[in-house]
Amino acid sequence: MNTPARDDDDLRCAEYALGVLDAHERAALEADVSRDPALRHTLDDWQRRLAPLADDVRAIAPPPRVWTRIRRDLGFIAPQPKRERWRDSLNVWRWLTIGASVAALVLLGVTFTLLRQAPQTPTTAAVSGEYMVASIARKDGVVHWTATVDVRRARMVVVPASHVTIPANRATELWLIPPNAKPIALGVFPPDRPATMTLPPEIVAQLSAQAVLAVSDEPPGGSPTGAPTGPVLATGQMRST
Amino acid sequence: MTDTYSGDIERLPRERIDEMLTNVAKGDEQAFAELYRATSARVFGVIVRMIRDRGEAEDLLQEVFATAWRRADTFDPARGSAMTWLVALGRNRTIDRMRQHREELLGEGDAPDIADEAPTPAAAAESSEERRRLESCLDRLEPQQKSAIREAFFTGATYNELAQRLAVPLGTMKSWIRRSLMQLKTCLEQ
Repeated sequence: MNTPARDDDDLRCAEYALGVLDAHERAALEADVSRDPALRHTLDDWQRRLAPLADDVRAIAPPPRVWTRIRRDLGFIAPQPKRERWRDSLNVWRWLTIGASVAALVLLGVTFTLLRQAPQTPTTAAVSGEYMVASIARKDGVVHWTATVDVRRARMVVVPASHVTIPANRATELWLIPPNAKPIALGVFPPDRPATMTLPPEIVAQLSAQAVLAVSDEPPGGSPTGAPTGPVLATGQMRST
Repeated sequence: MTDTYSGDIERLPRERIDEMLTNVAKGDEQAFAELYRATSARVFGVIVRMIRDRGEAEDLLQEVFATAWRRADTFDPARGSAMTWLVALGRNRTIDRMRQHREELLGEGDAPDIADEAPTPAAAAESSEERRRLESCLDRLEPQQKSAIREAFFTGATYNELAQRLAVPLGTMKSWIRRSLMQLKTCLEQ
């Protein structure tokens, strides 16, 4: 039995597979697909139906340098030795990031301990987990940021997990996408260093293991429209700890 | 014609390519190299057709295969062939990149010319059973609607761009495409 909602999802998947949707509609479908295996199948079916059209496109052998770059990117061959300034070195950034992550966790730990020690800590009944986390990863699986939410204190810490570069005239904006709902702007954050933000109660109320965090590429100051305008750089599903 | 494959040299049976991608999921670098040899020219052709700029197409191809290595475990041969999986990955990455550009180059309207992408006789002769079925279903659409579907697939254009290129109102374009997609589905499921 086809319901109108299912027909609508089927059509969205068809439009996505054909490639006619704009950046915002694509991002919305990708977020829905990431938490709905049935929708994933609907999309796979459409990719399969349309893929044979690609047979009509003339094959073009890529230049050999692409294969070299792929193998270098994946670490199959050592990168060519070159002198790096320490600030450019990914390793330095990794260590700084790990240090920052540890610092953030220690801070959360302190908060947690203080809460635990406070006599007659008020208990908020509605919240099941006290902390929620999300690994916000690119489509290729590379994790760009980790987000940790202290649900009780309505605080979120976003820590870079890899060296992220975006153009100087662009900003990264964080969004919460509850199930079957439009993205809610959480704010612009620096992509390359840890950031904390306080979440309003109406946003905390939307946090659940079905919600997805997404980061989009936006003009400085964030989306002018209240909805993501640029492409989605990375997404991650919220999980209770 | 120095940079083209005729296609048939590299056209391995579907099962063989599926097996390569399945082995890539187990971390088999040899299978990854074979997969690249067998499929990269076809994926690259699809990317170049959409984005034109060769440098950018190379970056995208690199991204697609790096993703294929990292995400091969999400491939399920029961849900479609490895070639379909790779082509979808390539098209989706390219479309994302094109949408990103559109934000950056706002206002610069250089609509690429519409090329007639009718299959060449050679391509038609060697095309797969699936391709032939899809073509016969496409042939049941109105000629304008068939050409809108093909244009959309090959160029990754949005509804808006398609409406401009084919000089019809946006609403008309949306209803053409939507109706055509549903007709295709019905026809393919017969």
